[in-house]
Amino acid sequence: MSGPSLAPYILRRPWLKTWMMPFANWYANAAGYRRLGLRYDDLIPEENDTMQLALKRLPPKEAYDRVFRLRRAFQCSLAHQLLPPAEWTKPEEDQPYLSQIIKEIEIEEKERADLESITVQRRT
Amino acid sequence: MATPASVGSRALRASKQPLKNFVQGRRGLAAAASGSFEYQTGEAAGVKYASRDLPTATTTLAVVAKAGSRYQPGPGFSDALEKFAFKSTFKRSTLRITREAELLGGELSAYHNRENLVLRAKFLKEDLPYFTELLGEVITKTRYTTHELNEEVFHVMKLDQKGLLASPLSLAINSVHSTAFHRGLGVPTNATSSTPFTKYLDAQSVADYSDAAYARNNIAVVANGADHSEFAKWVADFFQDVKTGSTEYKLSSEPTKYYGGEERIAHASSDVMIIAFPGSSSFTSGQSFKPELTVLAALLGGQSSIKWSPGFSSLSRAAADFPQAHVSTQNAAYTDAGLLYVTITGKASDIAKASKAVVDTLKSIASGNVSDEDITKATALAKFRALEAGQQTEAGLEATGMGLISNSKAYQIDELGQRIGKVTADQVKNAAKSLLEHRATVSSVGDLFVLPWAEEIGLKV
Repeated sequence: MSGPSLAPYILRRPWLKTWMMPFANWYANAAGYRRLGLRYDDLIPEENDTMQLALKRLPPKEAYDRVFRLRRAFQCSLAHQLLPPAEWTKPEEDQPYLSQIIKEIEIEEKERADLESITVQRRT
Repeated sequence: MATPASVGSRALRASKQPLKNFVQGRRGLAAAASGSFEYQTGEAAGVKYASRDLPTATTTLAVVAKAGSRYQPGPGFSDALEKFAFKSTFKRSTLRITREAELLGGELSAYHNRENLVLRAKFLKEDLPYFTELLGEVITKTRYTTHELNEEVFHVMKLDQKGLLASPLSLAINSVHSTAFHRGLGVPTNATSSTPFTKYLDAQSVADYSDAAYARNNIAVVANGADHSEFAKWVADFFQDVKTGSTEYKLSSEPTKYYGGEERIAHASSDVMIIAFPGSSSFTSGQSFKPELTVLAALLGGQSSIKWSPGFSSLSRAAADFPQAHVSTQNAAYTDAGLLYVTITGKASDIAKASKAVVDTLKSIASGNVSDEDITKATALAKFRALEAGQQTEAGLEATGMGLISNSKAYQIDELGQRIGKVTADQVKNAAKSLLEHRATVSSVGDLFVLPWAEEIGLKV
């Protein structure tokens, strides 16, 4: 699920973006998931309805690749190994493939909740 | 106490109160009609429209697209497009469309048949702008997302398949059409359960099909109970973005050819037998409309139009000895062909006997053995049915839309009534004779051990 984030605020301001990017890149690399061949969206917890629905909506190829990455990462974790550097996730590969779908579902759910609690003002 | 004085003062008080209905400018149902019964037609930015201003409080608005199952490029396309109606658009979500329609007290529906796909909205007269905009939006801006196709559209299509499979009558009607016309008109309206439609359908192909189906020259917007000038204005406003066609699909269907033959399908739940012959095409088609076949359908009949009596029609008299079998005759009219079919439902053993009686009756009519009085009655009934069908909003809307798309001619029912009124007895007898010269189409669904073959009841297939 998508949590609160400062990213949109920073991305809207180019000067702030150029200032923050080196730090962001350093952080993403230091987090270590790229060395297990994972992408950032693979780390989103899946034990909730929104995420389950989002996973169902993934195109078949994306879903297959996701499962492959997760299994490879599990294997590495069990063996206490990192992938060889050639197989690390490159920064340009680390694209959000799931966040967009999750956002859409959250918008749908919010709209439903809003419509459920709407008060109708009749035209006179 | 009702003294003359008190009565008088009460009357005075009553007369001082304004007459609510007249002051607000609303017309009651019994007030004089402002509009005519005929459709007024027009064209805005290439989109044809027609409306008639009936003095009613509600309006029915429909978009008729010439994209029924005979035009679909693969199995299930029309069905999927129908089920994608009122799904999320680029402007609002499925849920919002539903809730807004609910708030205004409107009713949204979509259906398709062999020739047309119809999106329909019924609502209070003052909501015309909202629903015109909605229909315009649905046909131009629906998103056709993969997840809606997988989660909602396929789900409903599969339920429809099951419904079709459980209904011997629908199976028989589909079977009789496909035996009679093979491809084109013969394509079943809904895919049967063994049709692998998921192989042909994906969100992109449905979107491409929608571009072709909802193209300018392929749709007509028809309204019943709307003021024409106002309606014209809203159509011009909200149907501007209608596309000109699709690069992927060209909707076309070969001219229909009648083949004939026999098909038998085993079914455990109930028994149906349909005997069909080439019939008359619809009134708006022009040349191939044969009013005498409509009269023949009424003459054969079977279903009674009066209570507690089998009725005067030939088939109801013929089948009177088999009370467990119900006979009815229809002429299914399409743009370039028609199918005159007799449906016999009920208990298998009675169907077997009744079907023989049906064929014998048809043969005796063909040999001229029918009284002029019966034909007069049948003509009156056929005329009544045609006019009534045109008058009912649903059928009238679709027929009008269809006429507008094909030759810019609305379904003017006065003219239709005149054509049927002119049919002579000889025309009807000749029509019956020519029916038997063709190969018949026979479909039996049910207990095939009991239901007879076409040869056994004396038909040539």
